[in-house]
Amino acid sequence: MKKTGLLGVIACAAMATSGVYAQETYEIWHYYAAGSELAGMEAMIANGNASVEDAQFSGVIIPGNVVELRRQLQTAFLGGQPPAAYQSSMAFELKAFADGGRLHPLTDVWSEIGGDEIFPEGVQRVVKVDGVPYGVPFDLSLINNVFYNTAIFEELGLQQPTDWDSFTQTCTALADAGYQPLGNAGGTFWSLYNFYAPLVSVLGEDGYYQLASGELGFDSPEFSEALDLYRDMMVSCYADNWSGKTWTQTADDVINGDTGMFMMGIWVGAYFEQADFLAGEDFDVFQAPGTVGKSVFQMDVLAVPEGTEAGIAAAEDFIVAAASPEGQAAFAVPKGSLAPNVNVDPSVYGYAGARFAEQFTEASAANAVLPNLFFLLPTAVGTELGVQIERFAIDPSDTVKAELIATLESLRQQALAEDAYISW
Amino acid sequence: MALRSLMSNRTTRTHLAFLALPVVLFVTFYIYPIVSSIHLSLHSWDGFSPAMRWVGLQNYATLLGQPRFINAVFNNITWVVFMLVVPTGIGLLLAALLDRGMRGEGVFRIIFFLPFTIPAVAVAAIWRWMYEPSNGLLTTVLNLIGLGGLSQNWLGDPNIVNFSLMGAVAWWTTGFAFLVFFAGLRNIPTECIEASRIEGATPWQTFWKVSFPLLWPSTIIVLGMSAIDAMRLFDVVWAMTKGGPAYSSEVLATQMYDLAFGRFAMGQASAVAVYLLIIAAVIIMPYIYYMSNRVTESEAE
Repeated sequence: MKKTGLLGVIACAAMATSGVYAQETYEIWHYYAAGSELAGMEAMIANGNASVEDAQFSGVIIPGNVVELRRQLQTAFLGGQPPAAYQSSMAFELKAFADGGRLHPLTDVWSEIGGDEIFPEGVQRVVKVDGVPYGVPFDLSLINNVFYNTAIFEELGLQQPTDWDSFTQTCTALADAGYQPLGNAGGTFWSLYNFYAPLVSVLGEDGYYQLASGELGFDSPEFSEALDLYRDMMVSCYADNWSGKTWTQTADDVINGDTGMFMMGIWVGAYFEQADFLAGEDFDVFQAPGTVGKSVFQMDVLAVPEGTEAGIAAAEDFIVAAASPEGQAAFAVPKGSLAPNVNVDPSVYGYAGARFAEQFTEASAANAVLPNLFFLLPTAVGTELGVQIERFAIDPSDTVKAELIATLESLRQQALAEDAYISW
Repeated sequence: MALRSLMSNRTTRTHLAFLALPVVLFVTFYIYPIVSSIHLSLHSWDGFSPAMRWVGLQNYATLLGQPRFINAVFNNITWVVFMLVVPTGIGLLLAALLDRGMRGEGVFRIIFFLPFTIPAVAVAAIWRWMYEPSNGLLTTVLNLIGLGGLSQNWLGDPNIVNFSLMGAVAWWTTGFAFLVFFAGLRNIPTECIEASRIEGATPWQTFWKVSFPLLWPSTIIVLGMSAIDAMRLFDVVWAMTKGGPAYSSEVLATQMYDLAFGRFAMGQASAVAVYLLIIAAVIIMPYIYYMSNRVTESEAE
């Protein structure tokens, strides 16, 4: 009996003291599986672990992209085992899960970090659903820059194009010299991101947002004009066989000196640097015609699923650390992206990062910050837009153009009937 | 009363006890998901909202009106034909060649079967590199041997992409057909082969008149598995092209995945799943029925 009692006391003491030493580990789900992206994510999580005292965080990689992460999340929600926080895209990606009652509103933590002060207005509007913040930005990439091989430009005596005319002249000069003028890659996103330049050229910022809110139709003369501009200025300039390449293969073509220019998100800059193809020496950038002084951006945020109180509290502590200038820089520098927090010292960036930060600051001041249209549109419309623009880039015939317009307009009408559009 | 008398039999109770676990597993992991998918296909649901909206057969009707869906069905049927003919045919040919007792048979056996052991995602990564249209291995080799004009935009041309995918899948799956046929050939009694040779049959006649007919148990397995694999094809296509460019290489399974997780249309994705089940049943069940009859007849003989 005595032995039993003693063992009981020891067990109780052990259980009582274990809480002092053991820390709960919470999962942060993301799809940054390799290279500079993984380095950035690991640095952000390490910063969170160093900053939050009574919780530990571990990154869980869901290989793939936003689609694979959605699949894993849906399964986790059904099973009642969501992560503490996860990497989400902006706008409709947040709205879909928030409308489903799956996301925890981040009103308190947003107030604590001063979200309305530290993030530019253009960024804020795509993380709030009906005025309630559901995501905190940590990863911002501009998608309206054209990267080019400086050696080729120097060899041919080319200057950075500033408008569509000079862009076309540059394409012609590159092609005449035996280079592939403009790289692109197959997939739902890349042709669409290229298309934003002619789209903004024609529509301007207001028209861009009107298209995003469903006010402007895909059967409008303006959208048709944007397609024509894209066909004449960019599609005609694309490298041979671009649709059979991944973006990294096209980036390799730029590094190898086969391709002169490549319009891609700024993550390609980090890819170049990893291959010792250096910014300001081997490659440089310019804003695509029609977007000079503006910034079209893609952004990732941290979202917190509804769950246990302890899990939500830990996730909010993690977000406070991730939103700080140190946390934002910890991610952005290795990843090669921009920190959305305006208080991050621009000196943390290299040559390319400093250029992008300057562009974004200038665009924010001019209220010319445009979030990726793909995520501003209802999910079905945005996804189909990406597919149809790629199809048009492969076959820019009038027949395909007409089918593209009919398909997208039909989806727009359907989304309007379902009241799916919102104004960001 | 009849049930009670049946259950009073000890042997029957033992049999039922043995059957209970597989039946429970079958119902839980096979019947329930099918019923659940059918139920889901009659609703509109994004996959995470608490409520589903009843839409009846609307998802089915919507799909039938979409060229995208029809294209995926056509692609799946094309894949069935391809899988029944190409990997099976090459596998049979390789097995027949190796069965002649050539030197280094063990090494060749490993070489032929090795691709089948590689995971689908790795196969996709290898072939994405092979198919890079400018500097990939395939294009480079064609250029080296003076056939550069045959180079294609392997994965980026909607008219070519399915053939490219089939090339990768042929390389990947032929090993399975080869191994089954090879094992089958080795199990054919040598007396039959020797008798045919004594009778003056050529090697060609011996193979087609003696070996091949005796191979039918292997043929059943290979054709059945190939047809099923073709209908549920997903991983290689998704990892290599995601069904693109512009839906050109899409099959029903990749479309289902895109609808469910790319567009939050879980009800429509479930309708695709039900269509896939029906189409697979229509294509494959007659074959299964015919072959099971053959087995019964064979056992009777």
